[in-house]
Amino acid sequence: MADILFYIFAAMTIGSSVAVVINPNAVNSALAFLVGLLGVSGLFVLLDSFLLAVLMILVYAGAVVALFLFIIMLLDMQGGERKPFSRPTAVAGFIGAALLAVCATSLLKGLGGLESAEAVSAIGVGANLKHYADQLFTTYLLPVQVVGFLLLIAMLGVIVLSKKFEGLEDIK
Amino acid sequence: MESSQLALLTLLVPLASAAVIALFLRRAGVVASYLSTAAAAVVAVTALMLAFGGHRFDASAEWFTFGDFTLSLGFKFDDLAALMLTIVGVVGFCVHLFSLGYMHDDQDKARFFGGLSVFMFSMIGIVLADNLFMMFIFWELVGFSSYLLINHYCLKASAADAAKKAFIVNRVGDFGFLIGILMCYWHYGTVDLNQLPDVIAGGAMMSIAIPLLLFCGAMGKSAQMPLHVWLPDAMEGPTPVSALIHAATMVAAGIYMLCRIEVLMVADALNVIMWVGTITAVYAALCAIVQSDIKKVLAYSTLSQLGYMVAAFGLGSLVVEHDGNEVLIAAGVGAAMFHLTTHAFFKALLFLGSGSVIHGCHHEQNIFKMGGLLKKMPVTAITMLVGVLAISGLPFLSGFYSKDSILHLAQEKNTIVFGLLVFTAVVTSFYMVRMWRITFMGETQSDTAAKAHEGGLSMTLPLVVLAILSIVGGYTDSYGHGLIYSGAFADVWSQIPHAHGVGVFIMSIAILVVGAGLAFALYKPGPSDGLATKMPAAFIGLTALKDSFDKGYNYYVAKVQDRFAMLLNFLEQILLAGLIIRGLAGIVGLFGLGARALHVGSLHAYVYWFLLGAVLLWAFAGGLF
Amino acid sequence: MTVGLTEYLTVAVVLFVIGFVGVLIRKNTLVIYMCLELMLVASTIAFVAFSRFNGTMDGNVFVFFILTVAAAEVAVGLAIIVALFRRRQTVQVEELNALKN
Repeated sequence: MADILFYIFAAMTIGSSVAVVINPNAVNSALAFLVGLLGVSGLFVLLDSFLLAVLMILVYAGAVVALFLFIIMLLDMQGGERKPFSRPTAVAGFIGAALLAVCATSLLKGLGGLESAEAVSAIGVGANLKHYADQLFTTYLLPVQVVGFLLLIAMLGVIVLSKKFEGLEDIK
Repeated sequence: MESSQLALLTLLVPLASAAVIALFLRRAGVVASYLSTAAAAVVAVTALMLAFGGHRFDASAEWFTFGDFTLSLGFKFDDLAALMLTIVGVVGFCVHLFSLGYMHDDQDKARFFGGLSVFMFSMIGIVLADNLFMMFIFWELVGFSSYLLINHYCLKASAADAAKKAFIVNRVGDFGFLIGILMCYWHYGTVDLNQLPDVIAGGAMMSIAIPLLLFCGAMGKSAQMPLHVWLPDAMEGPTPVSALIHAATMVAAGIYMLCRIEVLMVADALNVIMWVGTITAVYAALCAIVQSDIKKVLAYSTLSQLGYMVAAFGLGSLVVEHDGNEVLIAAGVGAAMFHLTTHAFFKALLFLGSGSVIHGCHHEQNIFKMGGLLKKMPVTAITMLVGVLAISGLPFLSGFYSKDSILHLAQEKNTIVFGLLVFTAVVTSFYMVRMWRITFMGETQSDTAAKAHEGGLSMTLPLVVLAILSIVGGYTDSYGHGLIYSGAFADVWSQIPHAHGVGVFIMSIAILVVGAGLAFALYKPGPSDGLATKMPAAFIGLTALKDSFDKGYNYYVAKVQDRFAMLLNFLEQILLAGLIIRGLAGIVGLFGLGARALHVGSLHAYVYWFLLGAVLLWAFAGGLF
Repeated sequence: MTVGLTEYLTVAVVLFVIGFVGVLIRKNTLVIYMCLELMLVASTIAFVAFSRFNGTMDGNVFVFFILTVAAAEVAVGLAIIVALFRRRQTVQVEELNALKN
């Protein structure tokens, strides 16, 4: 049963990400992204990380994609592009992708990641909230503080960036 | 006061005077002149105290250390140094006193007296030095102060050229000197004059190169051939400068240095030195015959007498048959120093006298425009006569004794040199009498000479003092008239070779008579040179002789050295400036061009570059290269 | 066949590559940004998979941080894009070529 679910979710994710790349309309791309995130969330559930699955939906799908859509609508682009990509660009992109795939695979092979396919269930730590909290507040306390600080900075940055800069000449 | 403190005082007082003049008294010429003269007086007094008070000592202080090598500054005050210090002090004071009157109307007095003080400081440094490095330091300082003073009339192009020439020719000699010092250090392990005799006595191997290289320095400083070309041109400086530096003391520093390094000498080196000195003496004497500038005559005369001193030193050790045993006397030092002493007195006298004449005739220097000054400037005339007779070797004057010893030495050692030196002596008396006769006797030849008058007391007093010294300066102990030097310089005077018998006495009188007689016959006071009218071929030949060296050097510099310099310039343009400097800049520029090509402004292009980088990194990690 | 680490990692790699291709191909800045996020998501999948198959919590916790950082990054990036749009009236990447030469 778990395997079938895996394949379903995997297909969903990959399919929607292809749609993100290909679709000429930006809004369509964003919505495809959303579906992909749902697939990823399912994959996380299959990997026993329930908290993370929920967080993905809440944070990524809920906040990030919503923000994306908001900005796309704000910037009010004129109907998207006719042709999202030209022939030569597609070919180049394809070659680049193939290269990247080969390299990543060889890297993973070298690390021994792609060989051992064993017991999925044997190692069920059961990543529940308690374990998260344990790690976050002991081993990873410093990164938590740093990330909090980072969020503060990001907020300040956004506020500064959204001001209107008067008096700057046009760059062109 | 302790001996070394007294010596330090002697060294530093002129330096202090120079510093004060340079810092505060640039405009106050009169104050500067008195300050400098007072400093010279202090130096003279302390020098006499040190010399005749029996202070003989060695003192040294370490300056810095480099691993094994130590440079120390110190004083070696033995009889030789005492003698030289006395000369420098007494003659220096006389010249300072004379300058008070001579430079009275000069605008740049302060610079002149500052330079004189610097010179006194440097010269005393050479005299007192106890190791060759320290001597070299002061050697260069003396060269610098000579440059400063020759260039006193700095608005005249000829003076500037003469100063440059003096310095550069000196530098050539100093190059050999420096190499000699380095070789000495390398070979013997020390340059300390106190330690060298011990090292040599301990059986160190002697080399011929070291004394010859050190002699190069003496060649430059004492103007021996072929580095003699600067001394006649150095007469561009004021006459007191010529008297002090280029007659009595600085040029004698070379001789002094040779005497200091006597322990390093070997027989072959002494031979070379002897011949160089002899040839210089002959050449200079011949050139002096045709000079019409009173100072140039004296300059060539100085060259000739320096040649005498160097030849005397080169005649070196004397082996004398004495009652059947052979007695070895190291007589070179004695004879050379003796002649140096007497020469300092009478040459300074002659120069100061000529200065008095020039000053009286309102800066006229051509002897053919003078004449008849005997009645107008009697003191000068009489004192100069004393000087002329001293240099010609009139018996019982100082010059007679010193020349006598040199001729005796030559007679014992080398007949050819003896003959040449005798010939030179004849020529010396010849041109000196010529100069005196044309300048002082007969009728006045020009208006400036007609208005001539004696200088003040400040100019005549030194002349009288030096004249007295020229007479009595030769009475050293060895001749039984021990009253002048009262045994103060026994170590030096004991090395003077005595002549035996009356042979030399008669020869001296013969020299004087022949030379003076020829001069009287050939030259009458008048507007033109007697030799030119009577024997024009000889005159032209001698003038060409004088110019030959300068022409030779000019040719060498223009043809050889300039071409070499152009070659080096060409190489430098191509290799250094072109290949290396611009090449490096070009490579950096290429990098810049390449980096610029990356900036296309397209985001996608940047991503492609990123991809390439990532692929390369992965390949590297995967072990592809 | 049982789904093991290999499969999950394959999914992650494929997702990553698709995201990369998207960055290369698309001309709209916002879509490029979305493809970047896609790449980030792919890396989170890999992290969780590794963490699960090694029996530790480290990978999971790290995904926490990735999530947070991604959110902050998106906020700032979008603010920049908005500011750029205000100045240039366009978000087409080809027209943003002021750094050329």
